[in-house]
Amino acid sequence: MSDKSTEFFEKFQDKIAKIIKKPKRIYFNIKNEDLREISDYLFNTMGCRLSICTATEVYDGLEVLYHFSDDTTGIYYNPRVKTGLENPEINSITPLIEGANWIEREMYDLFGIKFKGHPDLKKLLTINNPHFSEDDHPMRFNRNRTKEK
Amino acid sequence: MAFYNKIIKKSIWVFHVSASPCNNCDIEILDLITPGYDIERFGIKLVGSVRHADVLLVTGIVSYKVAPRIKQLYEQAAKPIFVIGIGTCTAGGATFKTGYNAAGMPLEKIIPVNAYVTGCPPKPEAMIDGVLKLLGTLK
Amino acid sequence: MSKCRIPLGPFHPLLEEAEFFDIKVEGEKVVDIEMETGWMHRGHEKISETRSYTQSIFLVERICGICSTSHPFAAVHAMEDIDNVEIPERAQYIRIFIGEMERIHSHLLWLGLAGHFIGYDTLWMWTWKYREPVLQIFEKVSGNRNHYAMFRVGGVGRDFDNALIPEIHPVLDMLEKKMLMLAGAVKDDPVLWSRLKGVGVLTKEDAINYCANGPTARASGVDIDVRRDDGLEYDLINFDVIVLPNGDVYDKLVLRVLEIIESVKIARQCLDAFPKVGGEYLNKVKHISPGEGIGRYEAPRGEVFHYIRSDGSNRPLRHKVRAPSFSNIPTYKASCVGIPLADALITLAAVDPCYCCTERSIRVIDEDNKKLEHNLLTMSREKTANLKKVVAGSEKTPIDRIFED
Repeated sequence: MSDKSTEFFEKFQDKIAKIIKKPKRIYFNIKNEDLREISDYLFNTMGCRLSICTATEVYDGLEVLYHFSDDTTGIYYNPRVKTGLENPEINSITPLIEGANWIEREMYDLFGIKFKGHPDLKKLLTINNPHFSEDDHPMRFNRNRTKEK
Repeated sequence: MAFYNKIIKKSIWVFHVSASPCNNCDIEILDLITPGYDIERFGIKLVGSVRHADVLLVTGIVSYKVAPRIKQLYEQAAKPIFVIGIGTCTAGGATFKTGYNAAGMPLEKIIPVNAYVTGCPPKPEAMIDGVLKLLGTLK
Repeated sequence: MSKCRIPLGPFHPLLEEAEFFDIKVEGEKVVDIEMETGWMHRGHEKISETRSYTQSIFLVERICGICSTSHPFAAVHAMEDIDNVEIPERAQYIRIFIGEMERIHSHLLWLGLAGHFIGYDTLWMWTWKYREPVLQIFEKVSGNRNHYAMFRVGGVGRDFDNALIPEIHPVLDMLEKKMLMLAGAVKDDPVLWSRLKGVGVLTKEDAINYCANGPTARASGVDIDVRRDDGLEYDLINFDVIVLPNGDVYDKLVLRVLEIIESVKIARQCLDAFPKVGGEYLNKVKHISPGEGIGRYEAPRGEVFHYIRSDGSNRPLRHKVRAPSFSNIPTYKASCVGIPLADALITLAAVDPCYCCTERSIRVIDEDNKKLEHNLLTMSREKTANLKKVVAGSEKTPIDRIFED
């Protein structure tokens, strides 16, 4: 484990829970309010690249896993943010990282997660698609298939 | 019609449209016009507009978003036009058939089709063979 | 000055895939560019949840026909990451060989299309001519020209036939020779130089902020390469990561030519290793335990990312796919604005966009199209004069370094 990584976990000790450490992959849970601060630190101070985010529907809600890649050491930092199934809402990190723009739109499209503070939150993949209505999010288990026969 | 059929066999102009494919059939079609296969020898030429084309090559599963455009393209084409579905996707959806965005499986649901060349992707030789076999049925 | 909106696509004769760009121009200058995606969306991630792990590998192979090894490569990495599966050494060399040959054919494909986009069809025909033997090698090694189906969790599905080695060496020699020739041609060609030099610059800051990766980032001076950073198979091989400083289209072209030469070297190292490394090529994995795994691979276009979450059954609970173009395409916002419309297309093409991978596209909104107020003739004369200055002022190029060796 590199110095940068140790420093990071010491600094955010009380904001991080449930750390799972594997060689080169670190998963940990954070709260929605701390997301911007932690992303800012990872992206700007530690020089990590935001690889992508993964949204997943689990039995008690939706979770978004952010994948930050430290390209100097090959370590992945994966903060996980949880939200509820009804009206899911998470803070947007697009104002900090321009590269998060499309993926947040994609997660809004496929899962219906609203990103607070996103400059232009609209659908990305099923936009203007006659088969999908505005509140139809195809990756959700209970899909709102308003337009299907 | 007989006169037209006689003429069309000498010089086929092809328009290629990619309707949500995996790109593979598309690059194999492009491969046809490069020195490896060079189908311009046979008078077959890729053209830039469907209005000039005699044959329409369609690749991919045709997503719901593309489907109206494909219909529009077909309507714009000067008739008669022959439609060939390239790849297994157009014929049966291949591995994507359980997907939520696949409208055209088979492609006949969207536009009339004259022939399918299946394979994932079909070899360039198979595509040439498909086009020529279709033209062989014309009297 | 009045603004014009120029729709490009979704079915444009120049573009192979359906994609839609909404370009706003002022005179000849691009002032804003929007993109609408979704034409190619097939819903892989959802389909993958209904497939077993082995079937998923074949499914992700069909995300894109050009990088059809990169996606399985990253997917098996993700599956192996859950259980830390050991891979036999022979399988590692076979994986590298297939991956590098794919990089060669993909870069040749891009070079050809780049030539086509700037109206230089000679370059297109030549590079695609050299691409053909590479596809024939694939047919000999794997049985298919494009979808190779070589990858399995724990190794590869098919052994490499050592008898093919004498047939492959001449092709690699030919490729290296022709690439050096092409490098020389790129260096000397005033058409390419004036058409590509200084066009569509993506600065290092923008590349970092947009999280660009692969050749797009490396041509802007960002030193990232998953092959080196993530290690795994590539620890067996010696190779250089090529990084160029300027970030324009010319650098991206040169970078890809240099990478082909580098890939030829890697492929040769694999061919040398095959007779020495025998034995198993597949370490059979019967069960994937519950957990999460991240796999990545440096595809010809950049970093392919796969995330797999397993609940211990035979199907993935969640399979996230991120293709390199997903991160690279949004950089058009930084690189296309402010350049002439004629250069915009090659700039859009310079990231080697793969919309099938990205699963997206573009649209146009109608506005009053007014006549251009600018005197086009004057502008065109000015541009020609500027180009002449640029060509005359050209000095040593990055490509010189391969001739210095």
